[in-house]
Amino acid sequence: MQLCLFLGCNTPAIRPDVERAIRATMPVLGIDLVDADNYVCCPAFGSFPSADEEAWLATSGWNLSIAEEKGCDFVVQCGSCYSSLRMGREHLMHNAAMMNRVNELLDPTGRKVTGKSGVRHVSEVLYREVGPEKIASHLKKSLEGLHGIVQYPCHTLFPSEVVGFEDSARAPKGLRVLTEALGASVDGYSRELQCCGGAGGFMKSTPEQAIEFAQSKFDAILEETQADFIAVSCITCLMFMENVQNTINKKIGEERYKIPVFDYNQLLALCLGFDPKEVSSICNVPRDSVIDRLVPVHPA
Amino acid sequence: MADKKPIGTVLVAGAGISGIKAAIELAESGYKVVLTDDSPQIGGILAKLDYQFPTDHCGMCRMLPLVGREYASQYCMRKSLFHENIEIMPFTAIASVQGDGGNYKVQLLKRARFVDPAICNEMGECIDVCPVEVDDAFNHGLTKRKAIYQPIPHNTPKMLLIDKDACTRCGECVKVCTTNAINLDARDEEETREVHSIILASGVKLYNTREFDDAKSYAVSPDVVSSLAFERMMSGSGSYKGGEIRRPSDGKPAKNIAWVQCMGSRNRRQKRDYCSSICCMFALKEAVLAKEYGGADVETTIFYMDMRTFGKGFQQYRDKAVEEHDVQLIRCRVQGVSLNTDGSLQMRYFDPETNEFSVNDYDLVVLSTGQVPFETHKKWADLLGIPLDSRGLLATAPESKVRIAGKPGLFLCGSLMGLTDVSEAMVSGTAAAGEASKFLSAYGVDSTREEAIPEPPARERELPLISVVLCRCGEKAGATGLDYEMLGAALGRISGVGEVLAIDSVCREEGEAALADILGKTQANRLLIGACQPFMYRRKLKNVARQAGFNSSLVEVFDLFGIARRGMVEPSTGDWTLRAVAEVRAEIEKLKYKPALQVSVLPINQTALVVGGGIGGMTAALSLAGRGVPVHLVEKGGQLGGYLGNLVEHTVDGLAPVAMAKDMQLKVLQNKKITVHLNCEVEKSVGTLGSFESKLSFGDTGENTYLHHGAVILATGGREGATTEYGYGSSETVLTQSELKQGLASGSIDASELENVVMIQCVGSREKEGRRYCSRICCMGAIGNALKIKEMNPDARVFILYRDVMTYGFYEQYYTKARAAGIIFINYSLDNKPQVEMGEEKPVVRFTDPVLNLEMEIQADLVALSTGVDPVDSNRRLADAFGVVLTEDGFLAEADSKWRPVEFQKVGIYLAGTAHSPMPLRSVIMQAEAAAQKAYTYLSGREVHSAAVTSTVKDALCIRCQRCVTICPYGARSYNEADDCIDIDAAACQACGACAVECQNNAAEVKGWSDKQLMAVLDAKLMDSLFSSAAG
Amino acid sequence: MDLQEASNKDLWKDIYKTGDLHFCFNCSTCVSGCPASHGDPPLLVRNLARLVILGLEEELLQEDTPWACVSCSKCEEMCPMDVKPFEMILAIRQWQSANDETRVPQAIVEIYKRGYTQAVGVNKELRESLGLPPLKTLTENIEQLELFREMLMKTKVVSENDYMFGE
Repeated sequence: MQLCLFLGCNTPAIRPDVERAIRATMPVLGIDLVDADNYVCCPAFGSFPSADEEAWLATSGWNLSIAEEKGCDFVVQCGSCYSSLRMGREHLMHNAAMMNRVNELLDPTGRKVTGKSGVRHVSEVLYREVGPEKIASHLKKSLEGLHGIVQYPCHTLFPSEVVGFEDSARAPKGLRVLTEALGASVDGYSRELQCCGGAGGFMKSTPEQAIEFAQSKFDAILEETQADFIAVSCITCLMFMENVQNTINKKIGEERYKIPVFDYNQLLALCLGFDPKEVSSICNVPRDSVIDRLVPVHPA
Repeated sequence: MADKKPIGTVLVAGAGISGIKAAIELAESGYKVVLTDDSPQIGGILAKLDYQFPTDHCGMCRMLPLVGREYASQYCMRKSLFHENIEIMPFTAIASVQGDGGNYKVQLLKRARFVDPAICNEMGECIDVCPVEVDDAFNHGLTKRKAIYQPIPHNTPKMLLIDKDACTRCGECVKVCTTNAINLDARDEEETREVHSIILASGVKLYNTREFDDAKSYAVSPDVVSSLAFERMMSGSGSYKGGEIRRPSDGKPAKNIAWVQCMGSRNRRQKRDYCSSICCMFALKEAVLAKEYGGADVETTIFYMDMRTFGKGFQQYRDKAVEEHDVQLIRCRVQGVSLNTDGSLQMRYFDPETNEFSVNDYDLVVLSTGQVPFETHKKWADLLGIPLDSRGLLATAPESKVRIAGKPGLFLCGSLMGLTDVSEAMVSGTAAAGEASKFLSAYGVDSTREEAIPEPPARERELPLISVVLCRCGEKAGATGLDYEMLGAALGRISGVGEVLAIDSVCREEGEAALADILGKTQANRLLIGACQPFMYRRKLKNVARQAGFNSSLVEVFDLFGIARRGMVEPSTGDWTLRAVAEVRAEIEKLKYKPALQVSVLPINQTALVVGGGIGGMTAALSLAGRGVPVHLVEKGGQLGGYLGNLVEHTVDGLAPVAMAKDMQLKVLQNKKITVHLNCEVEKSVGTLGSFESKLSFGDTGENTYLHHGAVILATGGREGATTEYGYGSSETVLTQSELKQGLASGSIDASELENVVMIQCVGSREKEGRRYCSRICCMGAIGNALKIKEMNPDARVFILYRDVMTYGFYEQYYTKARAAGIIFINYSLDNKPQVEMGEEKPVVRFTDPVLNLEMEIQADLVALSTGVDPVDSNRRLADAFGVVLTEDGFLAEADSKWRPVEFQKVGIYLAGTAHSPMPLRSVIMQAEAAAQKAYTYLSGREVHSAAVTSTVKDALCIRCQRCVTICPYGARSYNEADDCIDIDAAACQACGACAVECQNNAAEVKGWSDKQLMAVLDAKLMDSLFSSAAG
Repeated sequence: MDLQEASNKDLWKDIYKTGDLHFCFNCSTCVSGCPASHGDPPLLVRNLARLVILGLEEELLQEDTPWACVSCSKCEEMCPMDVKPFEMILAIRQWQSANDETRVPQAIVEIYKRGYTQAVGVNKELRESLGLPPLKTLTENIEQLELFREMLMKTKVVSENDYMFGE
């Protein structure tokens, strides 16, 4: 299966090791990736979608036209990109006048959008398309003996009819199943579905409360789980959940919060035997405690 | 001679309380009923409820017939039901229905129980040996049961069955069953029935927190339960062990309990844009009970949106819950529940009182789950080949809640109308029975009027000689280990006992024949039969005796196998055959001193009096006249139609009362059976069921006339409340909702000129100093007017200032529609009422928007006040004239707010419509049909039979203190001034015995329960205990 | 507050044309689980809906809280009336941007200038060290970037605020 990789802004610019992990792992599992040349910002919710509907959807249209030209669906890791593209496509598909207007705008650029290409989240592709069994069968190393918790990207859950792929957006399973496929034990906890709080303007507008909000989640993790790591599947969750731990530590003046955070594809890449230096090197919370404990898998 | 017409037969599909009520009403009118239920038991949801508000008790038996009590079981209804004319078929599905109005062929699928209840001796050894344990669905998984089980813990007979899905067919139960009642290879059986009419009473599917996705955010632990499961947590036959309510997860006491309202309901996103009507009262009741059953330190919080206390007495119950029981009400819908590590449940909410967020931990969260009706409605529509309406529900005729549109002979009742409380279930069941009875009467089938077997004379003056007949009950006897010979010998030695005989299966034909044979030969003058389930067989066995020349009042049936079972349960108590002897001895002593009782035949004047010429009264009159009953219709005013029929052109739900009333008026006037008396009031009415005499006085001429009739329906109406609040009276721009309605209809108010209209709800209502009650119809009325204004002038802004929007049930759609139309709803509370000030040109309304917490004011072109519904003043005179009771609010007080909503304590008098309480027109019509049916049950026959057991007065001992008159809850006793004595209305008396207890002189007595008898019984029992202790 | 003066009854038409907003019955579901409702001042989605419904233009224009939204869209999932609160927040932001140029998000200038909110494709050495191929970015494809800009220039927010997009 071929999918067109939509990288967004943060991943290639700030966390290219995640990009590397995705590019490394997907083909192993039978997903061929093609690049989205000349793509632009998804657009982020804080940009055009907050300023002008037409500019928003024209930008979505620009991006969607790239996948359409490649004749396949987008695959996206960034939660915001995924949600923005899905929502943009949804708006276009349900509003013929807007679809026409966007194509009018796209026309001079030599592009056209019809909506024939879909937008898929990388965790959905792994969960639904590849499946945990296939993943498990390819492992060279495993997370056995390690406990993790998972952070579902809100943007892959809500609103379920636009972005969802879980059986229940209120009781999702995908990321847990995928992480368990790598041999880890996944602990549940009371605030599992609490948003990381990193997206949008919450942190920017009222940082003190945003940090408190995040801390309540980390406190629950510490108190209720034996988490050795946190698995996410969204670039914002990844960056925020790392950074905020350091921020809180600085605030309280002690190194209380230091749980390594991985993008799922990074964990996958590690377990498929890729070099940690390539697929998992950029971080603000040290990851050695996990990387050093990977267990080699011997073919049965 | 004309052909004998067939007996009218009705299928009632669904044996919840509305179905049971419909069945009883039809059976009482002499029709045959087939009562089916999908589940293995009857009773529906109510079987799970130990407590109902406002009394917080059960009261199901109050729906049983009061007159001719001996035709039906007089027994705890939660245990079972019996009526001669009702064939009960639990665990039976309707597979197909063919045919049309008056001629339906119904294919029934009787599901296999694998245990034959006719053979089962209910010893329960099979349950003990069954190795399979599963969640007990009756208790919502709070307890476990076996694969072979009793569906309802309190059922009699136990009606055991095997859960096919759980059973492993290990055969252990078969091995221990001594009566061969278990057949693991039993199959479902098909059966075809021909019926003339069908009443759908299946109820609807309920919202299940395990099934629906939107519950997943809440149902995060076993300690999040549905409201029905919570009922089982407070029930002794559920998980309640006394003292404390325990949370299911770990049995720790639940001290902090929260209710989350509207779970699954009022949800447009989930395509469930309706209210489930009953949950608010349900939650209030549960919160009150939680304190009672969980300890005084229990804290209760209800998260709600609108506390829908729309029914009679609801608001008062809410006030009591909040003020006396300290139930916290928080107007906020929470997004979910999260599970803390210690098992407690956390909810975060925005508290409108403080305008701040709060986070609280609870031990238990109860989700107020409601209905999911569409699936059930679709199922029926497919089965019956009828279309669904635009909402996806079975369509009833516009004005009727129970008559299915375009399908003569098809009716529905109960929760198929939308979830109903007990009262509405009773009314709808009775109304559906009434509609079916009207249909059958027009269709030309007969009712069974059993010819009474003449009562042979009693030989009570002879020395008592008792013949004791013991039923061996086929093979059951062997299993009980009852030693017949020993028992027989012991009984034979008791003085007064002539012979002790045993026969097989007295419940079957051969048993009856054997009994008749014995009676033909015996010298005895009294007969005591030991069998099982006396409530089921008593009447039949008495008839056998009567035919054999025995006076039936001197025949008694006792529960031999009940005694046998009691002996078996505790084998350690020694020789239980001896105990059985003692028990039977008590029965013998009671029968020995029993006087012969007479059933009195009460002649019925088959004429009805209907008081009130509004739509309710006319509905009742036409309903009765249509079945051939002559009716006198009395109206206080100069014309028929009442308040709605003269003043209200349209209602929000699409009815046209004025047009409807005109049409009905024509029908009333053309109907030869109906005599209309205008400008007329009833001054005085005396008499009892079957023979009332009423004095009518005509206001216009001052003349009087007397009427004789057999029953009365009081259907007086109400009127719009009066107010002086909010500047009413000082300006034409402040007006009542009905003035606005009429102004809009007549054109005297030009909607196109309106810029801002403010409506204020609950004016003078739901307040301590005013109407304490909710008038139920004002929210719909205001929404109707607001929508009308928006329709005529979409640019007009309409603000509705409300306390709780009472658009219960499917009325919710009008609330939604109103908001969609841009009508703005602003909540206010009693401590912060809106202010209206007369500005220079226009009134200025000041209020606080609680969402923004902002004080606002607006210049209104019109201020419309919802002033509620007041009872008419004449209710007081009416109550005096008929000797019935008024509520504190001035409405007529029904016999029982839940179970007997259209009856008075006094038999033969019924009520309907706004006389009862304010209600929407369709409910008025339904109540009128129900009241008509209640009256018709008796008016359709030339006589009714009183019960044999009633109270009496020993005149010589009576000092006329009249305390018995005061205490009688049925109004059966009165003081007869002319003859200076106490009169007893034999039809009204229910033999409760309150008078006998109250009477200081032993003058009041219940026949068959004399002091002499009871002392003899006590002696026998005491002798037994002396004997036992001596032996022990 | 005098609603007569303060309220523009057609405000909703300017903001959120679908009318879904009207279904709101202030149940507070949206706020009870909203991350940004923990802020100070809290984001109270239902209050924003209320401001629109009541037509309180000035107050709405002053509101900073729509920008605190984390876009998690949980309110959208949970809203029993299907008001689509997150879409409403975006619509309010659009309306604020259209009526107050200081509200126009800086991010759109970034996107206009280089196609991205971040410096995508600039970290060539790092990429190479990780074994990543070079990216074909819009930033480096002047011809496509121009077409993109021309397209955006035809939209309202860009054309009306063109001064922001100068070099």
